[in-house]
Amino acid sequence: VKLWGRMLRALISALGWRGGIQGCAFSSQQPHLTPTGLLSATELISHWTAVFEKRGIPEARESSEYIVAHVLGAKTFQSLRPGLLTQPLTRWQLRYIQELSSYRLQRMPVQYILGEWDFHGLSLKMVPPVFIPRPETEELVEWVLEEVTQRPHAVGAHGGPLILEVGCGSGAISLSLLSKLPESQVIAVDKGEAAICLTHENAQRLQLQDRIRIIPLDVTLEQNWAHLLPWGPVDLVISNPPYVFHRDMEQLAPEILSYEDPTALDGGEEGMDIITHILALAPRLLKDSGSIFLEVDPRHPELIGSWLQSRPDLSLNLVAVRRDFCGRPRFLHIQRSEP
Amino acid sequence: MRSRLLLSAVRGLWAHRAVGPARRHMSCGSLPLEELFARSGPLRTFLERQVGSETPLQVRGPELVAVAKLLTEKERELQETEHLLHDESEDLRKLAENEIISCQKEIAQLKHQIVLLLVPSEEADENDLILEVTAGVGGQEAMLFTSEIFDMYQQYAAFKRWHFEILEYFPSEIGGLRHASASIGGSEAYKHMKFEGGVHRVQRVPKTEKQGRIHTSTMTVAILPQPTEINLVINPKDLRIDTKRASGAGGQHVNTTDSAVRIVHLPTGVVSECQQERSQLKNREMAMKKLRAKLYSLHLEEETSKRYNARKVQVGTKGRSEKIRTYNFPQNRVTDHRINKSLYDLGTFMQGEYLLDELVQSLKDYANYESVLEIISQKV
Repeated sequence: VKLWGRMLRALISALGWRGGIQGCAFSSQQPHLTPTGLLSATELISHWTAVFEKRGIPEARESSEYIVAHVLGAKTFQSLRPGLLTQPLTRWQLRYIQELSSYRLQRMPVQYILGEWDFHGLSLKMVPPVFIPRPETEELVEWVLEEVTQRPHAVGAHGGPLILEVGCGSGAISLSLLSKLPESQVIAVDKGEAAICLTHENAQRLQLQDRIRIIPLDVTLEQNWAHLLPWGPVDLVISNPPYVFHRDMEQLAPEILSYEDPTALDGGEEGMDIITHILALAPRLLKDSGSIFLEVDPRHPELIGSWLQSRPDLSLNLVAVRRDFCGRPRFLHIQRSEP
Repeated sequence: MRSRLLLSAVRGLWAHRAVGPARRHMSCGSLPLEELFARSGPLRTFLERQVGSETPLQVRGPELVAVAKLLTEKERELQETEHLLHDESEDLRKLAENEIISCQKEIAQLKHQIVLLLVPSEEADENDLILEVTAGVGGQEAMLFTSEIFDMYQQYAAFKRWHFEILEYFPSEIGGLRHASASIGGSEAYKHMKFEGGVHRVQRVPKTEKQGRIHTSTMTVAILPQPTEINLVINPKDLRIDTKRASGAGGQHVNTTDSAVRIVHLPTGVVSECQQERSQLKNREMAMKKLRAKLYSLHLEEETSKRYNARKVQVGTKGRSEKIRTYNFPQNRVTDHRINKSLYDLGTFMQGEYLLDELVQSLKDYANYESVLEIISQKV
């Protein structure tokens, strides 16, 4: 998977704005060649929407709109200027669209095809197989920002809080927090090499590299936490850990199953494997009355509540559960009680 | 003669942006503010009473009285100086002329000040606003025109150094615009834009017309003041937020790229949508901004409709169905029907710079005139 991902990355970057012509070699091998005479953006969108629909590709219209908008230099179809919609496309633009659409036919997520996506107002580079941030997680960041700015004492964050993120992936959570909290510092850890590289790259692109320390680390190996002790104690621990129940994994869409790193999703039998590791070890790094914020499965608040009760030695209390925009209990605020 | 001089002086006051060429293209009716200050007219009587009264009615009464007194003095000074125009000495006549011009300038300024003191500022005048444009009658041609009008306001915002952010944009196939909205923010943005709401009509040979016939098409502009946090409080329980993720497990289980958001305010049924951004949170923020503006304008409606009930220059939804302006391309003319004013340089007008600004000023003046009339008729 890794090798293939790297190949794709190279391919996509070779097809960038300047290197569009290099893409020709591939396009000739692709099916669904763009009919001649279809030259404007709107016509191309209709064409590819029909092709995607026929081949059972989910979000057919959205996918073709994002691809065409991207090639024309816009983020969304809605933000394209009307002049661009009717203007005939250049030959290399047509080829580029063809190329990107062929990846979609192979069920590649649009975020990987475009090589970038937006999270909480930031544009982040996206590279397979690093986990693609979901919109729910924007709400987790919102909640933390709300608590830190409105009730700094209640979450145990004074001035600019020192934050630890476990499983940083593309860096979405850490970087969006840093961009909104100019006094803050973040320690971001992940066990995947690709994630560490991507977080580095996104931090550089957003010029936030000076306030983030990115450490390759597997939190399930107990001795590893010792590496973090010199950087602590921290005010906050935040994580969107793998929380999918193992038995649910095979039901995930091909976009997820064949492209995203499964270890970023699979949380074991009850989706709690990584969560319990985080909870068991966080007290060692947290300041007194420091907080943990987690994104979880809707079944987890109850499971985690009773798990914490069975571990009074950790001195952690589940203080709040928040629902996501679909009304599912999705986010947890767990606090370390004062000694 | 006197009034014409004054007129140009008054214009000079407002025309710092609208220099030179603007005046040539104008065909303007009487300047209503001048009528107000006619000798022994109702405003004069009103001001005299204010000056004579121990306890002025107006909140800003003392200031008003002071300016009214100054005006009387200046007018007397002007009268006296005017006698000197018939003097034998040419030097003295020249001197008098200069004196008169500066006197007239000051008088115009004082009158303007009096009007500003009399006209109550509206709750939302300082607020930001949401601009909404929607194509009306006329198919593709109406959509093309809608796109041009939207561009005009975007350029006007740049001209006024306002912030302009597109919230939604629904283009038509041939490069027109079905519907769009934008958030506009900056100094007195709503105060300037509030009279732009209504039906705008275009008369021209459409690009799509093969036989060269002139068509009439329309589009609608709505201007909604953006409430501040204090102006409007929404209970989150009153909102239903719809997204494509509503079904299924959500979270890590799903990867969708459809970030469109639709918010319904349940008690009123007001709906707001946004799919402008890739980030769903950003779309939600923008949809919320629009929803707040819609609810706020409903809230303001009652108060505003009371005040504007009998007026030619309307704001809010009441004015939205009214045909306010015609853009006639064959005649190179734009006419505002409310104040019966025409400008003869359509191309320049639609660049959204000084000509549009001039019309906006005229509308503001006319609204002030109507407002002053109301006040003095209440209080005399």
